[in-house]
Amino acid sequence: MTAGTKFFVGSIALVGAVAYLIYAGVQQTGVYYFKIDEFLARQDSLAGEGVRVAGRVAVGSVTKKMTPKGEELNFRIGDFVSEGEVKETVPVHFVGVTPDMFKAEGGSDVIVEGKYRDGMIHAQSVMTSCPSKYEAEAQQQQGGAVPGAR
Amino acid sequence: MTDVGSMALAIGWVMALYAVVMSLIGAWTRKRDFVASAEHAALAVWGVVVVAVAALLHALVTHDFNIAYVAEYSSSTLPLYYTVAALWGGQAGSLLFWLLILTSMSAVVLLQNSGRNRELMPYVTATLMLISLFFLSMVNFITPPFERLAFTPPEGRDLNPLLQNYWMTIHPPSLYTGFVGCSVPFAFAMAALATGRLDDIWIRTTRRWTLLAWFFLSLGNLFGAEWAYLVLGWGGYWAWDPVENAAFMPWLTCTAFLHSVMIQEKKNMMKIWNMVLIILTFLLTIFGTFLTRSGVISSVHSFTQSGLGPFFLSFLGLMAVISFALMIWRLPLLKSENELDSLLSRETAFLMNNLVFVGIAFATFWGTIFPVISEAVRGVKITVGPPFFNTVNAPLGLLLLFLTGVGPVIAWRRASWGSLRRNILIPFSIGILGGLALFAGGMRHFYALLSFSLCIFVSSTIVMEFYRGVRARQVMMGEAPHVALVRLIAKNRRRYGGYIVHVGIVMMFLAFTGTSAFKQERQITVNPGDSFEIGGYTLKYDGIETKDTPHIAYLLATVGVFQDGELVETLHPEKRFYKKPEQPTTEVAIRSTLGGDLYLVLGGFDQDTKMATIQAYVNPLVSFLWYGGLVLALGTFVTILPQRAPAPAPAYASGSRERVATE
Repeated sequence: MTAGTKFFVGSIALVGAVAYLIYAGVQQTGVYYFKIDEFLARQDSLAGEGVRVAGRVAVGSVTKKMTPKGEELNFRIGDFVSEGEVKETVPVHFVGVTPDMFKAEGGSDVIVEGKYRDGMIHAQSVMTSCPSKYEAEAQQQQGGAVPGAR
Repeated sequence: MTDVGSMALAIGWVMALYAVVMSLIGAWTRKRDFVASAEHAALAVWGVVVVAVAALLHALVTHDFNIAYVAEYSSSTLPLYYTVAALWGGQAGSLLFWLLILTSMSAVVLLQNSGRNRELMPYVTATLMLISLFFLSMVNFITPPFERLAFTPPEGRDLNPLLQNYWMTIHPPSLYTGFVGCSVPFAFAMAALATGRLDDIWIRTTRRWTLLAWFFLSLGNLFGAEWAYLVLGWGGYWAWDPVENAAFMPWLTCTAFLHSVMIQEKKNMMKIWNMVLIILTFLLTIFGTFLTRSGVISSVHSFTQSGLGPFFLSFLGLMAVISFALMIWRLPLLKSENELDSLLSRETAFLMNNLVFVGIAFATFWGTIFPVISEAVRGVKITVGPPFFNTVNAPLGLLLLFLTGVGPVIAWRRASWGSLRRNILIPFSIGILGGLALFAGGMRHFYALLSFSLCIFVSSTIVMEFYRGVRARQVMMGEAPHVALVRLIAKNRRRYGGYIVHVGIVMMFLAFTGTSAFKQERQITVNPGDSFEIGGYTLKYDGIETKDTPHIAYLLATVGVFQDGELVETLHPEKRFYKKPEQPTTEVAIRSTLGGDLYLVLGGFDQDTKMATIQAYVNPLVSFLWYGGLVLALGTFVTILPQRAPAPAPAYASGSRERVATE
């Protein structure tokens, strides 16, 4: 066997290892990512699963409480529509540091990640996606079409 | 001024198109004056882009809020420094800024090569101008930076407060310089393919450009990490966010390329592989811009989202088709003239290093676009977060670290077990002993033990290399040790500069390991006067003050940091409320020591009770990331400096032929 062939065999092994790492990594750490409407449509089948859901905080649904472990945040998220048009929502529970851009009155666009249990998302993280909205709004103001923006 | 700006961009578009067409026709018909005319046009493109940038800067500095861009990204109270930085704070401006770097580099390339590489140059010009043409189309037709508003607002909306940070002002320029710098070796690669001059001339001509691009890519990534660490306030510096990955992937393939071209220069092997790597690197820079600019993969700190996506994707596809088609057409000429002599050789170590780099790049790519793939294949979006990237990339990164130790001490072509053992036995034993010592000291984290042992092993090999070189000079030239060290580096800049870069990388691995294996985190709500402990520190929360300025209102917490009962520092984590646009931000407070950082975030605050939620992190060894970056920069600087006299390099003596970069 020439050195080249040996190297080829070795590299196949390496490529296989990388492929396996990727496969196992996805299996172990993959999390479903839904927009709120997709989540609501199939929430029954997601009990106990790790989920990541993007939605808009329903106006007036936010309650905050100081606890020794941090701020306890309870709110509901619904579809990306203006106030009053929101029909269905799902409750979210979170203890930690409230993101800067999270508005206490509601209306922030958020991505929450955590476990869906007992009809509630127990979030490990709440992220606001405002900075991107910032530019999108600006573009709309200028009259430009924004196909990429939600 | 702004009419001048938009006019300049329109002229630039025509000129760039002209340059592409004329240089190609000139090359095909062998008409020299066509080629010369195209080159002049390319220089003119640079000139008009400079004019456009000056016009936009003028508009920003004079607060011409009738210009949509100025109204959007600056205000009259924004400090001048950030007003200038607003040039790359938004979409249109950053595309213009990108163009400035690209056309400036093109101009330098043209001037550098006005008397050489004449056969390649028409295609180089055509490639660089084709890329410029794409960006010029963007700023002319899609996001014009000089667009006017129907009315003049009295005040601008200001730069996003999160971007009002020193690191954020230098992060995009360095990253763009790195991204754009990759276009130069890519353009020469395309020229080599088009002309069939597939020896290593294109590689040697662009060696310094590649290093420069790599240098700025490295710094760009580090500045971004520093910014995230200081501004985003989640206690870390890297979140494997799509936007971060976008900058990381070209760095990986570029690093692989820097290593594998050495094999082509020394052994005339790996021609196809090098082509693939540079094409991939270039495509990844465009893909990276696409990821950042299109918002196709929603990113937490994506500041940009717009309809540019389809254009970028089309351009990406076009460039991929052209470059790979050229390569396949030239495959017969790219066949290697040499084969791997032995599995036990530096070539093998380099090839392995390349495979691992590309493996990490692929894993990162896969993880980044996985939501899109899973949606297309299974109809469900599945995202993978930091755990995925860490589980996949940590073992690969450690393998890479190991190879960093092996590569330099194994001979080219064919190493004997005897010599390898001689070279590696001492550093390897030191590494093992170091690992055992840490284990005896109570460290039980497997990856950390492995990583630290490897760091010690790699450092030992580098120290040994320097020691041997210095010893040899001392014996042969009778030089004093410090003189020998300086001359050793000066005479073999490429080699020893490379080792210095490796030292920087080892330091970064110390930081990666410290922060991922031993990070401590605590979140607590406290009353004024309360104390709590984390990682050997006792923290006492003393209360909150407020402060008000026209631009920002502040909320400052006072936290005393005690160690062994003594006050060592008082930290002030803040919340800031920017007034225009109204936006709160978190300013972290950090006590930084070589051993680690204490990182405090003011999470929440209750006006009535004065209770505050404080998030405290201890990040061991994190400073080594920044110091490692400095060392890396120093090493790159050493390799990039022109080398005057060719010097014999003892360790290469076993190689087929020695060649010192002469450009």
